[in-house]
Amino acid sequence: MIRIKELEKVYRTEDVETVALNKLTFEVKEGEFVAVMGPSGCGKSTLLNIVGLLDDPDSGSFLFNDIEVVDFNERKRADLRKRNIGFVFQSFNLIDELTVFENVELPLIYLGVKTDERKKRVEAVLDKMQIMHRRNHYPQQLSGGQQQRVAVARAVVNNPRLILADEPTGNLDSSNGNEVMQLLTDLNEQGTTIIMVTHSEHDARYSHRIIRMLDGQTVTENILV
Amino acid sequence: MLKNYFKTALRNLLRYKGFTAINILSLSIGITGCMLIGLFVWDEWKYDKFIQGGENVYRLYTERKSTEGNTSTASVAPMFATHLKQQFPEVDNTLRILMAGGKLLLEHENVKAYEEKYMFTEASFFSIFPLKFLQGDPKTALAEPSSVVITSDLASKYFGNQSALGKTIKVEQENFVVKGVLAGVPEHFHLDFNLLLSLKSAGLPESRMESWGWQQFFTYVKVKPGTNVGQLQSKFQAEVKRLAHPKTSPGGFTYQAYFQPLKNIHLQSSEFSYDNAKRGNETYVNGLSSIALFVLIIACFNFINLATARSFRRAKEIGVRKVIGADRRQLLLQFTGETILLSLVSVLVATIASMIILPALNTFTEKQIAFNPFTDPILAAGLIAAGMLIGILAGIYPAIVLSGFQPIKVLKGIKSSSASPGHVQWLRQALVIIQFSLSALLIISTTIVYRQVRFLHETDMGFNKDEILYFPVRGEVAKNPEAFKDELKRSANVVAATAGYGLPGDQYAGDGVIIPGKEGDKRHSANLFIVDHDYISTLGIKMVAGRDFSKDMATDVDEAFIISETAVRELGFGTPQKALGQPIHWDKWEKDSLNPLKKGRVIGVIKDFHYKSLHEKVTTTVLQIYPPALAKMAVKVKTADLPNTIAYIKQVWSRFSPDYPLDYKFMDESFAAMYKSEDKLGSLLWIFTIMAVVVGCMGLFGLAAFSAEQRNKEISIRKVLGASIGGIVALLSRSFLKPVFIASVIAFPIAWFAMNKWLENFPYRVTISWWVFGIAAVAALLIALITVSFQTIKAALSNPVTSLRNE
Repeated sequence: MIRIKELEKVYRTEDVETVALNKLTFEVKEGEFVAVMGPSGCGKSTLLNIVGLLDDPDSGSFLFNDIEVVDFNERKRADLRKRNIGFVFQSFNLIDELTVFENVELPLIYLGVKTDERKKRVEAVLDKMQIMHRRNHYPQQLSGGQQQRVAVARAVVNNPRLILADEPTGNLDSSNGNEVMQLLTDLNEQGTTIIMVTHSEHDARYSHRIIRMLDGQTVTENILV
Repeated sequence: MLKNYFKTALRNLLRYKGFTAINILSLSIGITGCMLIGLFVWDEWKYDKFIQGGENVYRLYTERKSTEGNTSTASVAPMFATHLKQQFPEVDNTLRILMAGGKLLLEHENVKAYEEKYMFTEASFFSIFPLKFLQGDPKTALAEPSSVVITSDLASKYFGNQSALGKTIKVEQENFVVKGVLAGVPEHFHLDFNLLLSLKSAGLPESRMESWGWQQFFTYVKVKPGTNVGQLQSKFQAEVKRLAHPKTSPGGFTYQAYFQPLKNIHLQSSEFSYDNAKRGNETYVNGLSSIALFVLIIACFNFINLATARSFRRAKEIGVRKVIGADRRQLLLQFTGETILLSLVSVLVATIASMIILPALNTFTEKQIAFNPFTDPILAAGLIAAGMLIGILAGIYPAIVLSGFQPIKVLKGIKSSSASPGHVQWLRQALVIIQFSLSALLIISTTIVYRQVRFLHETDMGFNKDEILYFPVRGEVAKNPEAFKDELKRSANVVAATAGYGLPGDQYAGDGVIIPGKEGDKRHSANLFIVDHDYISTLGIKMVAGRDFSKDMATDVDEAFIISETAVRELGFGTPQKALGQPIHWDKWEKDSLNPLKKGRVIGVIKDFHYKSLHEKVTTTVLQIYPPALAKMAVKVKTADLPNTIAYIKQVWSRFSPDYPLDYKFMDESFAAMYKSEDKLGSLLWIFTIMAVVVGCMGLFGLAAFSAEQRNKEISIRKVLGASIGGIVALLSRSFLKPVFIASVIAFPIAWFAMNKWLENFPYRVTISWWVFGIAAVAALLIALITVSFQTIKAALSNPVTSLRNE
């Protein structure tokens, strides 16, 4: 599904150059659950952003479903992203002005799904995440665990083939964290590919494979399954 | 999708109430200003557009060159029309209106009144200006002598419910027949009248109608469709040069003729001396339009600044939307949509405000503008379109900035200072500078206009216009003014009285005098004042040399002239002392006298006095006694017991001239009325300056709030490290004072240039002093300082622990 070859990314400020990705090569197959670990600044978030089509590499190749996407313009990337990729963030990133229902509905709106169909799908996913009773609340009225469940609901509502999770349990206590990890595992079992960046060995153990990064390169791979 | 945008927009607007309030309020003020001025300007532009075939109608005017400089006049010689009609096949029709002043006494049965709005004109009037007749035939109504056409208002005044057509009405005690009744005179017609008299009744001798020099007619030409008017004008100018110049040159002047399109008469005639049109002032109309636009621009800039300043608050939303699939175009649409919503709300507020303010504007401008978009769907659609346009103009830039945010940056919590690109910060400064430049420009202009208006009202006119009432003499009073004066003076409340033709603020005769010399006679144009022995003393005019007219000197009536200081120079006498005894000759107006030439000498020199408004320069002025031409009388009274004094004058008048009502005015009021347009300009400028400053301050207030919020952490750290409150207020204020200071520097030369240009219209004017600029700069700085101080002091006083904990 994802084939990355010799990917390079350098951040430049006026007088400092930071190499975030250094000729990184990396592959994820359909249906895999991969955890990416490594110390701060090792390039794991940059990798996630590039895989999520939020950022451009400086050089190298990135095939998404065998299509080269490095040269895609913003519009094409947005299109590919909204059809195939769901995001879960550490800080949930829900829109404060929208209710739970409206937040989850948003990706479907951008996909141009009709109102009736949207309602059905949002309700189904809220049900699955067990936050249906909170559908008309605003994010600030929810606990952290509930917010992350809404975020996961939003990430999966359009049935993406790939979910990118950036420290999804970082802001949660352990029981809420476990709940979210269980949700991700369930999704993976239903066929969704998951790439998760994490600092937590505990969370990483939910995955099939752990990739450890240092200075923009992968250093080891542990296959768990 | 739209519903979602709308929902987010509404919730955002409600969530940041302060931001929303500032934006709606400042946009509403800006739009209200634009609407009101727009209505005014639109009304001004409407003049004469209703006339069918008006695109082929031109008015003739002349630019007159004489020793005293150049003047434009709307009145031209009678031969213009005659010659154009006879010699130029492209001319379809011509029309002359006699320039006449004073009032006419109208009488029918027991209704008797003076009418001021009348014109002597030709039968072609209604073929060039097709006005609606209620009764009568437009083609023949003014063809015969002693014919009048009246408006329906005048018809009901004199004839009540009876039909006026065919009835006799007395005009100055002569019988006229009503040949037509007009429905009314349209409001947007440059001519204002309620009575038209056939030109043939004016009793003008044939010989005068053949003059090329007697500029006494407003003349209109209707050309055949497709005529090249530029060519026609050149051809006619050649004829004027050939026929008129030889006749006028000996009189010391020549003129050239120009064609003025009908649609330009109302707004482009403000420079003309002698015009009977209802005139607007294009400069003022354009000036006001720009000011309205300024206020709107300031309000739009507020929006741009506040929207970009608070963009970090929305950065997360943008990031999220992008991550889950929004492309930039969709976000552009969303954010522009929000501004459009805001702008439409402002348009609604402004519409209601305008409808509330409009009656006051109508009173102020003496117009009857109607405005109700709630009953006029086209107007409503126009306003909605305008609202959307304003929304797009104000919203597009912030939308581009916001939609350009990189999601990975904003979702990582990087704040706006680094999330919004450098050009945004730069632009924000630039917009604040422009806003304050416009405000400073308005402050300076208003101050200068105010000073000039005060100057116009308060300048020493060289005579005393207070406590003087004046009126035309009629009947026995005209025949025996001295006896009437003597009778008036029996009252202790009457201080003095003088009869003359040429009272300050009233009509006078532009004529010429002849200075005999060794190389023959030399003609000079001069304003001639026909006076009596009491003129100079009644008006309090100062003598510079020689003496006043005296009843003890029998020869003063036939052989004496008193001239002004300017006349001393213009006539080449050197000094007032040297002017005394110099010979002056004058062509008498009554040609049948045995001595057509009055030969006299200068007996005195007076200080120049402003018998016209200060819009016009005083020119060569010659005073003389010439009893046949006395037309008006001025009476100086004591202010105490004024009603009784007026009653006394009326009573004496009715003993002398029982057939005529007394029709008087106060001289100071006539002068005050001359500066009405400047007074109004001054008031409007005040209002708009305040509007602009208030709107600008609202923006600054909002910006200061966001800036304080953004620098919260910095402020806290500085406080922890020991910064004083004063120090922090100064720190935060400094960043706002710099643009205001730069703005002043930009505004100064522009204001200086624009105001100099405006002041050039006045031969008598104030000088632009440096302190006006100083005051404007200090005012702008103080206003800015006070505005931001609310926020900076609040920020400085906040507890550093709370904000650091939040970080």
